[in-house]
Amino acid sequence: MAKIGVFICHCGENVGAKVDCTKLAAALGDHPGVAVSVEYKYFCSDPGQESVKKAIRDNNLTGVVVAACSPRMHEATFRKACAEAGLNPYLCEIANIREQCSWVHTDKDLATEKAMDITRSMVEKVKRNNKLQPIEVPVTRRALVIGGGIAGIQAALDIANAGQDVVLVEREPSLGGHMAQLSETFPTLDCSQCIMTPRMVEAAQHPKIRLLTYSEIESVDGYIGNFTVRVRMKSRYVDIDKCTGCGDCITKCPAKKISSEFDCSLGKRTAIYTPFAQSVPNIPVIDKANCIYFKNGKCKICAKTCQCDAINFDMPDTFVDLEVGAIVVATGFQVQNNSLYGEYGYGKYPDVINGLQFERLASASGPTAGKIMRPSDGAEPQTVVFIQCAGSRDPSKGVRYCSKICCMYTAKHAMLYAHKVHDGKTHIFYMDIRAAGKGYDEFSRRAIEEDEAAYIRGRVSKVWQENGKLMVRGVDTLLGKPVEIAADMVVLATAIVAQPDAKEFAKTIGIGYDEYGFYNEAHLKLRPVESSTAGVFLAGACQSPKDIPDSVAQASATASKVLALFSKDKLEREPVVATNNEVTCAGCWGCVLACPYNAIEKKDIVDRSGRVIKRVASINPGLCQGCGTCVTFCRSNSIDLAGFTEKQIFAEVMGL
Amino acid sequence: MSIEEQYRKRAMELLSGGAVKMVIGYGRGSNAERRRPVFISSPEEVNRLVLDEACIANLSGYLVNEGLLSDEKRVAVFLRPEGIRAINILAAESQLDAEQIVIFGFDVSGNEVKALKGIHVEEFEDVIGAIKEHAPEMGNEELLEKIEQMNPQERFAFWKEEFAKCIKCYACRQACPMCYCRRCIVDSNQPQWVNTSSHSLGNFEWNIVRAFHLSGRCVECGNCDRACPVNIPLRLINHRMAQEVLKSFDHFAGMSKTQEPVLASFKKDDSETFIL
Repeated sequence: MAKIGVFICHCGENVGAKVDCTKLAAALGDHPGVAVSVEYKYFCSDPGQESVKKAIRDNNLTGVVVAACSPRMHEATFRKACAEAGLNPYLCEIANIREQCSWVHTDKDLATEKAMDITRSMVEKVKRNNKLQPIEVPVTRRALVIGGGIAGIQAALDIANAGQDVVLVEREPSLGGHMAQLSETFPTLDCSQCIMTPRMVEAAQHPKIRLLTYSEIESVDGYIGNFTVRVRMKSRYVDIDKCTGCGDCITKCPAKKISSEFDCSLGKRTAIYTPFAQSVPNIPVIDKANCIYFKNGKCKICAKTCQCDAINFDMPDTFVDLEVGAIVVATGFQVQNNSLYGEYGYGKYPDVINGLQFERLASASGPTAGKIMRPSDGAEPQTVVFIQCAGSRDPSKGVRYCSKICCMYTAKHAMLYAHKVHDGKTHIFYMDIRAAGKGYDEFSRRAIEEDEAAYIRGRVSKVWQENGKLMVRGVDTLLGKPVEIAADMVVLATAIVAQPDAKEFAKTIGIGYDEYGFYNEAHLKLRPVESSTAGVFLAGACQSPKDIPDSVAQASATASKVLALFSKDKLEREPVVATNNEVTCAGCWGCVLACPYNAIEKKDIVDRSGRVIKRVASINPGLCQGCGTCVTFCRSNSIDLAGFTEKQIFAEVMGL
Repeated sequence: MSIEEQYRKRAMELLSGGAVKMVIGYGRGSNAERRRPVFISSPEEVNRLVLDEACIANLSGYLVNEGLLSDEKRVAVFLRPEGIRAINILAAESQLDAEQIVIFGFDVSGNEVKALKGIHVEEFEDVIGAIKEHAPEMGNEELLEKIEQMNPQERFAFWKEEFAKCIKCYACRQACPMCYCRRCIVDSNQPQWVNTSSHSLGNFEWNIVRAFHLSGRCVECGNCDRACPVNIPLRLINHRMAQEVLKSFDHFAGMSKTQEPVLASFKKDDSETFIL
């Protein structure tokens, strides 16, 4: 005989304002099989949970329904409370009357009716729930960090410093990411390379970190604690063990006019190259598309120059298979292509550049050795116009979101320019100055007050060339007047967007992403560094635009999550796994193919003489993640999912 | 020699040499226009085989009768191109080993029966490719066109009326070579997802489930149409699903014996029109 306890949570005003909880409790109290039906302001609180436990003990409850927020929020909380009171945790279910009811309805009477339906339906399910025991799985204590920018490096170092093995994979020839490209960093103006390169070296030399540069993730299989990852190590055509990094090959390479990606097309590089002088590892790669030998079959000057015999034009890509327990995704961002603003002349006028290009101009390691020279003729610009939100906060042409870092780096650019060109003049077109952060507002005020950056609140409508000047026409909305400025250089504060292959890559590793291609966190507020896939964590700008302090903080947060995971010998997994009815299974094996976790295999059923009489599908409970894909695929309805059995779901539906 | 005579001769040779244990073909039916399946296991019986334009049923379904192929011996079967596609699907879904099937391929255009060259299913790739490019006429194109022109409400009303005739006899299921499950979902009663009685809801449930279970698998042989005692144009539903699957995933059912089932396979470039 079922004795179900129903616990209705007001969630403060969240549920209480739109659902009449007293009426709901009374209605459920009359429902067959319900022994207790009570309401309380916050059941997730300590006294709330205690009252649930007491009710279980006092009434010998056989099942519990908590009508409250989404199960994603507190299912674990209440299942734990039930277990503490001696009730199998899988006999506790959550009826979601917040996200699926009170938050989305305005009519209190109708919302109350709906809450009754939702809760009754869950009571009917719980009546049919079974006791389930958790499944234990081993944990591989090795982390994979994908992306060798500041976020990836920080995560790798934090995990490695705690004594755990890390594999750090970077797809470019060197560690460093975008931070290595920056000149000085806000709000302290310390040189980016000076704080970045020691970190790169530390990561490369750390005994617990295995570094795989110029490598990409080919495939990811498995699940939390037990991922198998295949990494493609792209051929450098340079033997990483033989090369000493002397750089002679680079000096001698005759193909010298290749546009440098690292310098954002403002500088040139050779066909055999390291992205920048401080590259880690300091081993060059051959750019096959631009190498004279690969194009014409003749040259090999680098091979002749190399005294270590390190160059091998026949080197193939190689594959590394890794077993890891956790994955940190720190794949970063890219800057949006500004050519979508034709009226600003990006791509048309060489002296209209983006913020990242300005970083290279201002950087001591850049193509101009830190001297501000305009790209067209190398002259020192006397007037520079900065246009903020060139892409951000622009639903019509760019992206809806704020890229977060542009207000700060534009203020920094104005400052750096003022420090280098003393009689220069800067104008900054802005929508709002968003300088929230420690020392940030003081920094932007400094740009205005000490370095005389002229901020103009308004948008720019057009940039055109006239008499050797870039004419910038905009509006000063505070004065209500149109403005026209003759500038020598225009810098666009370009939007930060997701990596071009971000969505594709998300599918490879099996995580969710938003409409822009930024990776989704499990909970925006409470689980911001976990992805929706257990064991996969997110650090840095792959999740949303971030500055350096935020990226580093998030990276350290992922490290703490990884280390918590590695602190146990075994993981307890939810026993929500599929089972197959071998009698009715038709052996079509669609499920084998449909299973995203490779958890289903073919099994022979043999008679006493060993003759195969039937072949069926067999599900490995250790690998099954309980996603239910096979259940929906199975035409003969032979597969069922523990915790969500057909009988339970049917009862739930019929309870509505 | 007519094709009928050629195939009788070949059947005789295969059976007497022991190359096949059985030939599944067509024999005379209850009247001059009808043919019924015959199962020939001795060379003396080959004269019962008939091949003419009235041989329309898809016989591939008989191959998956429990136990028929479990002795690993070969079985020959008369098949039109749709039947050959069905062999590919049954092989892809592990219901039979294509090596065990000897095909007597034929096609009918107008009143003319022509032989299709080949014995093993792999040899008919061109024939199947040609159907993918130019679908043969089903004979009810007029109705199909009419339904396509309807708006969703009219179409729903049309099918509601058609399904109202359904008596839940499951003849369509029995006739379909793809319905090989030992227990059909409609026979599963713990819980009873699909209503058993033949009323509007139950009839819709059954026919919608059937449409989904056949999408990406139906070869449009028409066995269901012909089996239906109340003349519901069942093939049109499957035809429409086949078109959807072809359009969305470039999947033409029964192209090869290694073709992956469209609803169980996933490609990175599959369109995602409904998942963010």
